[in-house]
Amino acid sequence: MQKRLAFLVAAVSASFIGHAQANELTGTLKKIKDSGSITVGHRESSIPFSYLDDAQKPIGYAMDLCWKVVDAVKKELKLPNLAVKLNPVTSQTRIPLITNGTVDIECGSTTNSKERQKQVAFGVSTYVTSVRMLTKADSGVKTLDDLNGKAVVTTTGTTSDRYIKQNEKGHNIDVKNVYGKDHAESFLMVESGRAVAFVMDDVLLAGLIANSKSPKDFMIAGPALSVEPYGIMIRKDDPQFKKLVDDTLIGLMKSGEVEKIYNKWFTQPIPPKNINLNLPMSPQLKEAIKNPNDNGV
Amino acid sequence: MSIIRFVNVNKWFKQLHVLKNVSLEIAQGEVVVVCGPSGSGKSTLIRTVNQLEPISDGEIWVIDQNVADHRTDINALRADVGFVFQHFNLYPHLSVLDNITLAPIKVRKQSREAAEQKAVQLLERVGLAHKKDAFPSQLSGGQQQRVAIARGLAMEPKIMLFDEPTSALDPEMIGEVLQVMKDLALSGITMMVVTHEMGFAREVAHRVVFLDHGEVLEQATPAEFFSAPKTDRAKQFLKQILSPMH
Amino acid sequence: MSQYQWDWLVIFENVTDTDEFYYQWLISGLGWTLLIALSAWVIALILGTIIGTARTLPNKFVAGIATAYVELFRNIPLIVQLFMWFFVLPEMVPTNIGNWMKQDMPHPGIITSIIGLGLFTAARVAEQIRTGILALPRGQKNAGLALGLTLAQTYRHVLLPMAFRVVIPPLTSEFMSIFKNSAVAYSITATELFFQMKQITGDYKPANQIEVVTIVGLIYILVAFSANRIMTFIERRVQVPGYISGGK
Ligand SMILES: Nc1ncnc2c1ncn2[C@@H]1O[C@H](COP(=O)(O)OP(=O)(O)O)[C@@H](O)[C@H]1O
Ligand SMILES: [Mg+2]
Repeated sequence: MQKRLAFLVAAVSASFIGHAQANELTGTLKKIKDSGSITVGHRESSIPFSYLDDAQKPIGYAMDLCWKVVDAVKKELKLPNLAVKLNPVTSQTRIPLITNGTVDIECGSTTNSKERQKQVAFGVSTYVTSVRMLTKADSGVKTLDDLNGKAVVTTTGTTSDRYIKQNEKGHNIDVKNVYGKDHAESFLMVESGRAVAFVMDDVLLAGLIANSKSPKDFMIAGPALSVEPYGIMIRKDDPQFKKLVDDTLIGLMKSGEVEKIYNKWFTQPIPPKNINLNLPMSPQLKEAIKNPNDNGV
Repeated sequence: MSIIRFVNVNKWFKQLHVLKNVSLEIAQGEVVVVCGPSGSGKSTLIRTVNQLEPISDGEIWVIDQNVADHRTDINALRADVGFVFQHFNLYPHLSVLDNITLAPIKVRKQSREAAEQKAVQLLERVGLAHKKDAFPSQLSGGQQQRVAIARGLAMEPKIMLFDEPTSALDPEMIGEVLQVMKDLALSGITMMVVTHEMGFAREVAHRVVFLDHGEVLEQATPAEFFSAPKTDRAKQFLKQILSPMH
Repeated sequence: MSQYQWDWLVIFENVTDTDEFYYQWLISGLGWTLLIALSAWVIALILGTIIGTARTLPNKFVAGIATAYVELFRNIPLIVQLFMWFFVLPEMVPTNIGNWMKQDMPHPGIITSIIGLGLFTAARVAEQIRTGILALPRGQKNAGLALGLTLAQTYRHVLLPMAFRVVIPPLTSEFMSIFKNSAVAYSITATELFFQMKQITGDYKPANQIEVVTIVGLIYILVAFSANRIMTFIERRVQVPGYISGGK
C-alpha cells in the first residue's frame, strides 16, 4: 500500500517536472510572456554604454547589445510585437530594481563582481574596464607615488578610493581622499585644481576628457589599478533567461559583430556632440571576446 | 516755572492732523488731567512728551530740554519721565521685582542690591510687597498696573505721565489704582494724567485740560470745568461722561 | 519573484579588501553630520537673530539690507549655495587666496558646508525671529524706551527674550531641518552620513542597500527626534509662569 502510494507520487511529480522542462517557461521569460512586455533598465549618462540622446532615447554600446537580446526574446517567445518598456536606473537603484522585478534586464556599465553575484546574475562580460588616473596634462603625475600629499578625487558610490588607500599603506605615502558627488563634479575638482587626479574607470575618464572644453589639457595616466569586467545584469537563479542572454551575446562575439558595435561607440564620433573617445579595444577585452565568460571580480 | 511746555505743537499722521497748534504749560508739582472724546488726540499728546511719538512741528520743552531737538539725549530725558500705559506693558518674562529693577540697573547703573531694596520699598508703597517674585501674568489687572506705577517710580522721575491707567481695568480694581495715584499726587510730583475718572480729577487735579479734535479747547480748575464748562463740546462731553450709563 | 533577503547585520560586515567595517563609516558620517549641523546652527542662531532684529529696526537702510539678505539666502536652493561657496568663490577671490581655499584649507568641504548651511539657515531663523518680535504687543517696545532703555537695551532685555520664547516651536522645526539639510554637504565632498550611505550603497558592494538606507533613515529620524526633545526641554525651562504664548 505504502509502496504503491510512493510510486504514484513519484510518477506524478516526474511527469510534472518533465513537462515543465520541456515546455514550461520559468523566471523572467515566463514573466515577459505573461505580461506581454519586457522592461529594459538603462542609464541616463553612462557614455558610451547607455545614455540618452537628444530625443531622450537611450543609446549606446550596451543598448545595442541589449536590443539584440530583446530580438532574441521576441523570437524565442514568438512575440514579434512584444512591448518594450524603458526604465532609467542609477548606480544606486539598478540592483534593487532588478531584484524587485521592476526591471528585467539592465543595460549599462555595471561591474560583474562576486559580491553582486550574491544578489543578481550577469551575462558573459561584454566590456573590460581598467581603473586609471585622469590628471592635467602638465601635472607631472605618472605613478601613484606622485600623489603624496595631494588631494585625489573619486566619485561617491564608486570603489576607486580603495586602490588609493591600499597604495597609501604599501608605499607609506599620504593622500587626501576627496569625493565628488558625480563624475562631472569629480572632473571639475581636477579642472579647478581642488584635486590633482581623478581615479576612475578609463572609459568614463575618456568620456569626460572628450567632452571637456579643452581635451588636450588632460590625460589618462598611470598603471591599471584594477581590471573589471562589465556585464548585462539580470535576475539570479533564472537559467532559462541567462542561457538566452549568453547565447545571444556569444553568437555576436563569434560572428565578429561585437567588434563592429564596439568600434561604432568607442573609436568613432558618437552623439550627441560627435565626440570621439579614441579608446581602442584593450587586450583584456579581446581576451574576453575570445573566451566568453561571466567570471566576476 | 513750567516743567513741561508745548509751543505750537502740530502732529500729522500722514494726512491726519492729530494735534493742532497745541500750546500748554505744566508747572513743577502740578497735577494736570487731560480729558476729551475718544480719538481727540490725548494719547498722542501725552506720548509726545517723552518722544514715544515724534512731533511734526513746534517745540516741546521738558525739564528745560527741547525734546524735538535731535541733539537732546532722549534716553536720559525719558529716564526722568515715568510713563504708565493703559495696558500696563509689564515685561512678561520678568518677575515683578525684575520688572522694577531692570531700568535702574541698566540705565541708572545701580547695583542690584540697591535697586532691589528700592523696589521692595516701592512695592510696599503700592501694597504688593508679597508679590515681588510673581510674574505679571499671575497678577490681576489692578495689581499689574500698580506694579507698572512702581516700575516708573523706581527711576525717581521728576514727571509721571499716565495714559488712561484705569480704563483697561475691571471696575472693582479701579479704586486700588486710583488710590495709589492719589497718594502720589499728594507727594508733590508733577503728573500729567489722561483719564475720564472725574472723581480723581476733582480730588487731586490742579487743572483740567479739555482736548477735542486735536485742539485744547478749555483749561480750568476742576471745580470750574465741571460746574461751568465754557464750550458746547465740553458740555456735551461731560454729559456723556457723567451719565449713569457710563 | 524571489523575496528580498533582509540582512540587517550587513553594516557589521567588513569592507572588501580593507580592515574597515561599514558601521564605522556610518559612525564617522554621523559624527560629521552632527558637527556640521550643530556648528551651522550656532551661526544660524547668532546671525539669524541679528538679521531678524535688523529687519524690525526703524532704520530703513539697515532693515533693507537685512531684507535683501533674507530674500537672497532663502530663495536660492541650498545645494546651489554650497556649490557657489565651494566652486565659484575660490575663482572670484585673488589667486593666492583661491589656491589656499582649494589646496591648503583644512577640511574644505566640512568648513564650507558649516558656513554655507549656517548662512542659509540664518535667513530662515531671521524670519522666525522677526515674526516673533512683531508678534509681541506694540507696547512692549515703548515700555522699554519709556524707562530710558536704549533701543539696543530694549531689544536685548525686553523684546528678544520674549520673541525667542514665542518662536521656539518654529525654531524647533528649523533645528530639526538643519540635520536633514546637512545631507546636502555631501555634494561638496563632506563625508557626512548621507555621503557614507551613498558610498556604501554604490559600487562598494551590493551590500544589502535597502537595509543601509533604512538604517540611515532611522538615524536621521533619531537625530531629529533628539533635537525636538532638546528644544522641548529648553521650551519648558524658559517657560514664563502663567503666560500663555501668543496671548495679549
Ligand atoms: N500710529 C498712528 N498712525 C495713524 N493714525 C494714528 C496713529 N495713532 C493714532 N492715530 C489717530 O490719531 C487720532 C488720535 O488718536 P489718539 O491720540 O490715540 O486719541 P485718543 O487717545 O484721544 O483716543 C485718532 O484718529 C487715531 O486714529
Ligand atoms: Mg488714548
